[in-house]
Amino acid sequence: MSAVTTKSNKQEKKGGKLKAILAQWQLLMMSVPMFLYIIVFAYVPLLGWVMAFQNFRPRVGANIFQQVATSEWVGFGHFITLLDTSALIGQRFMRAVVNTLGQSILSLALGFFFTILLSLMLNEVRQIGVKRIIQNFLYLPHFLSWVIVAGLVSTALALPDSGGFINNALLAVGIIHEPIHFLANPNYFWGIVAGSMLWKNLGWNTIIYMAAMTAIDPALYEAASIDGANRYHKAWHVTLPSIRSTIVILLIMNVGWLLTSGFEIQWFLGHGVNITRSENIDIFVLRYGLEMNNFGLATAAGILRTGVAILMLTAANFIAKLLGQETLF
Amino acid sequence: MKNLKKIFILAAIATLALVITACGQDDAPAAGAGTGAAGGATGGTAATTDTGAAGGGAVLSPDNPRTINAWIVTQEMAPAPDNRISALLADRLGVTINYMLVTPEQQDQQVGVMLAGGDIPELVGSTDAQARLVQGGALLRLDPFLDSGDFPLLYQHIAPYRTRLSWNGGGVEDGFYQFPNYNRFYGDPPIMGPTWWGTAFWMQKAVAEWHGFPNMDNLDLYRYFDMIEEYMLANPTIDGMPTIGFTFPVSGRIWGLLNPPLFLAGHPNNGGVMVFDGQAQIYANSEWAERYFRILNDVNARGLLDPETFTQTLDQYFAKLASGRVLGMHDQRWGFGVAYDALVANEQFERTWFATVPTFDGIEPWYADRDVMNINQGFGIGVNAEDPEMLMTFLETLISPEWQIILSWGEEGIDYFVDANGRFYRNDEQRANANDLNWRTSNRLMALFDQLPKIQGTLPDGNAFSPGDQPEEFQVGLSDYNRFFLEQMGKNTWREFLNDPPDNPPYFPAWQISPPDGSAAQVAASQMDDAAMQFLPPAIMGPVDQFDANWAAYIAQFDLIDVAAFEAVITEGIQERIALFGN
Repeated sequence: MSAVTTKSNKQEKKGGKLKAILAQWQLLMMSVPMFLYIIVFAYVPLLGWVMAFQNFRPRVGANIFQQVATSEWVGFGHFITLLDTSALIGQRFMRAVVNTLGQSILSLALGFFFTILLSLMLNEVRQIGVKRIIQNFLYLPHFLSWVIVAGLVSTALALPDSGGFINNALLAVGIIHEPIHFLANPNYFWGIVAGSMLWKNLGWNTIIYMAAMTAIDPALYEAASIDGANRYHKAWHVTLPSIRSTIVILLIMNVGWLLTSGFEIQWFLGHGVNITRSENIDIFVLRYGLEMNNFGLATAAGILRTGVAILMLTAANFIAKLLGQETLF
Repeated sequence: MKNLKKIFILAAIATLALVITACGQDDAPAAGAGTGAAGGATGGTAATTDTGAAGGGAVLSPDNPRTINAWIVTQEMAPAPDNRISALLADRLGVTINYMLVTPEQQDQQVGVMLAGGDIPELVGSTDAQARLVQGGALLRLDPFLDSGDFPLLYQHIAPYRTRLSWNGGGVEDGFYQFPNYNRFYGDPPIMGPTWWGTAFWMQKAVAEWHGFPNMDNLDLYRYFDMIEEYMLANPTIDGMPTIGFTFPVSGRIWGLLNPPLFLAGHPNNGGVMVFDGQAQIYANSEWAERYFRILNDVNARGLLDPETFTQTLDQYFAKLASGRVLGMHDQRWGFGVAYDALVANEQFERTWFATVPTFDGIEPWYADRDVMNINQGFGIGVNAEDPEMLMTFLETLISPEWQIILSWGEEGIDYFVDANGRFYRNDEQRANANDLNWRTSNRLMALFDQLPKIQGTLPDGNAFSPGDQPEEFQVGLSDYNRFFLEQMGKNTWREFLNDPPDNPPYFPAWQISPPDGSAAQVAASQMDDAAMQFLPPAIMGPVDQFDANWAAYIAQFDLIDVAAFEAVITEGIQERIALFGN
């Protein structure tokens, strides 16, 4: 967000920067809290990265600086442990990375497709009142806590005896003849994650597209009508191209989050049986970091993740630029 | 327009000011708390020596109301706001307890958060997390208080076992940090309860009844499952729900899955290891384990094993047990107490379970051991507690026989009566109340009492500490069905279904020895559990003809795990204990 703000500030006037700053000092003052917020909550915590190079174990009684000062330095030891796939920890970390990517790419793909589809459909609802009601219903799941969603999902996917209505429905329709134990088969897990995220956030995520669609010049639709376009033609040739820049920007930003596939759903529904597909980086960090008091390893995993995320974001941005699309920076 | 702009600017400046002061305020109390805590800790010890010299402890009275923050790992429910005993604590001692209850499966993260955040509650009641808490510096060393002479009851409580109970694992000063929660017995000999609270292969009483109350001595595991299968075929549903042949807890209690080979091989409960001549050896990859899991695989193929065994949460497991349709499980009696009590409260006595002790090859069973003190569980005092003296006084007060009776039996005249000989007894209603989980939340402090030090065995006045252990209470309190069942099985108590335990080895039990944080052994222990959770379910739930391949995949994992490091740490602990406590 701040990147966008500074950019627009910069573009205003090239010459006489000082003059420009003086002229808009009120605006700049208004951005100071945001700036401080980012410094305090995004940059200061980076000091904690020092733990990645130490055998850091939190101890009650000493302050954080004393703890850092007295911890043993191990150089890149933790990174080597994580990346050495000949050992069990390295293999698990790699598996966690694969799961994170798998879960988030699937969620992103499904999420993007259905969100845009739903936005287009909502856009076609002519009755404002009906549209509002539909939208409000669609937003509701977003406000449920993940604990509740995980409970719903686990019940929905359970065996018929335990209230698994999805199995019941599938059996009734005749698609399957034996109930499927979804949570016991690791191969379903990525789909369960993507499906739950879709269910929870689909409606909410349409907001930004709906906002973009309201900005489309009605004259374009009129012109298309005169040229003989029907509703499908208009959606395809007017609406979609008009929100293209929004789509691209959102896509680039989401690429930056690909190595974060969420935590709660995996934590609540993941267990030993599906661990090969459920354990993502966050869970790995919790199990080997927090639960074993090994903050060095946990921090190293976090740094690796951030590094890769920045690379991926830059790459996506670069590709978008090559394709002549709107870019983030 | 101009005005609007001004308002904006003012708002912006106000926000800025707010942010800055907010940050400042955030810092201030944090720093204050830090120094305050440090001051409090040193002040606390100083005060001890002072008051020790003066010869007085802190006084708890209703004139001086206090709130105690208690963090408690327990399966028990929190007391209701209108709890009668809570009111008693407030009326007589002025103490209100602010409960933070943690289920056992959440303990590891919670301890991690606690250590990282440095925010330690005043009373920390934990199970098996002693090493982490003590080495993490979370607990206060209590020796100065104990030696001050101000807390004679607590002192006498731990004095005979002080070496055993004291921490000597390094990281912090050696000493006493945690009061044991269970199995410090009083009395000579102590009244031992008629109930066995430990491990067994449990079998629903209805199954034994259906089979005509057979003799269960020298039971082997095949017969155990055959009995269950025959009953299950005859009774495919119980109360309209499908019958479940066999299950066990896994979530947070992986020993439900892993421990049976130990007992089937005739070893006592040493956790993850078998001990041979003081040397620890894991058995998760042994032939005993292979035999057991092959049987489970077969049991699964016969449709006896609950397909949700590996995916159910602990609560779901309890719910199944409490529905009365589970015929058998491997578990520890305390572990499913909630479900057992629910069935009793529902008067479905025939759906509760009795212990069986199957072994392989006719080996002498050693399921029951002599009850061992939980030396690594119970209450410790948080290191930043402002007034540790007061907390010690609280614990000292509650271990007095007067309060122990209130906590265990209840209030005289309301929860129990005393006869002319001073013997405690209850009427039917009182007994039924004590079994009622809802009643308990309003009339008992189960969660607090779970972790408190207790004078188990015999009370000073000769009564049993626990109502269920009072011999006459046990007899009178038996439901008709249970009396009939015991009679038919030729037993007097539930404990008699188990082996007669020989003396415990001096190091026993090895499960109390946990590898230190950050050691290769700790990683290995976790990796062994992970391997089990990943590879055993497919082996057990998979087709019978693929068991060998599945088992081989599991065994292959052990080549990657530093098993030797784990065994070395446990062996070292065993040797230390042998050296300390003698042979």
